[in-house]
Amino acid sequence: MAGKQLVVGIGDMKLGRQEGTIITYALGSCIGIALYDPMIKLGALVHIMLPERVNSDANIYKYADTGLKETFRKLYAYGAVKSRLTAKIAGGAKMFEMKGGSSAMGNIGERNAQMVKRVLMQEGIRIVKEDTGANYARTMSIDLANGTVLVKTFGRPELRM
Amino acid sequence: MAIERFEDMNAAALDVFREIGSIGVGNAATALSQVLGVKVSMKLPRVTIEGYDEAIAGMGHPEDMVAAVLVEMGGDIKGIMLYMLKLDFINAILARLVGKYIEDFSQIDELSASALEETGNIIISSYVSAITKLAGLEVPLSVPSISVNMLGGILSVPMAMFGEVSDKLMMIQGEFLIGDTQLEGDLLLLPDIESLNFLLKKLGVADE
Repeated sequence: MAGKQLVVGIGDMKLGRQEGTIITYALGSCIGIALYDPMIKLGALVHIMLPERVNSDANIYKYADTGLKETFRKLYAYGAVKSRLTAKIAGGAKMFEMKGGSSAMGNIGERNAQMVKRVLMQEGIRIVKEDTGANYARTMSIDLANGTVLVKTFGRPELRM
Repeated sequence: MAIERFEDMNAAALDVFREIGSIGVGNAATALSQVLGVKVSMKLPRVTIEGYDEAIAGMGHPEDMVAAVLVEMGGDIKGIMLYMLKLDFINAILARLVGKYIEDFSQIDELSASALEETGNIIISSYVSAITKLAGLEVPLSVPSISVNMLGGILSVPMAMFGEVSDKLMMIQGEFLIGDTQLEGDLLLLPDIESLNFLLKKLGVADE
């Protein structure tokens, strides 16, 4: 893999243009959203952890709603055009299957996926590829030269999307 | 003064949780020793309060594979307990319980997973029961659940659970050593903030 690699932490976002890759590791119930404008080769990768900001938390990228909105704003500021933007999403797993009883944890991965899709739909951005759910973690990267996203998991072939 | 964020805890409060961890891990080590029939010792527990990425980095690379047993706590201490095992520790357990040796995580079959899950359950139950006896608490536990996967993905579970109230993860980390070898297994207690306040009050360290 040529060029430099940017690493996105948990509740974080990075964007880049033309070359190199952006990667985020081991998405569990979290979701990675790769947004890309092929015309100007501008891409962003967001790593959200929760569906919705319900307080005044300054860490906006932790949440699907505030994190995606801020990412859209940044992308447009860098010249992205909404109709050209596409989204690829991965993550939203349920790492532990809690048997019986009511769990305070719920299925946060599924709620994350629903919110991410809703926010993207409201903005009018197409989701072209998706690899969400199941019970395993995913490492996700986007190649800024062409928008190709790679999803790496344990014990399964790498997914190119 | 009530704690609103994990990082608000002062030295006295941190000492209390280190001590709680020590009592819990001590009891858990005894239980593990009985299950395995070997000497199990413990390291002095650490209390860490770190940002998400730092908390993961403190335990390895986010893509490192671990087997983790999770139990959810309710009642007086809400939160979760996680028992995280690396390959050599898993082999030490499997060798004694099911007579198996695995070379990598893909070889953990149903029988092995079930043995690890049960060991985790025993360790976690002994840990929690030591604490509840100490402070006269009621802490019902969920059925254990095992996940064999990437470290980062496993830790995203407690992060998401407390994510709305904290940007940091508080872990009371205990480590076991099996026999005379340096096989480390991490036992993590992750209480929510409300439970921290409850415990500090209950143990008489809240107002100073």
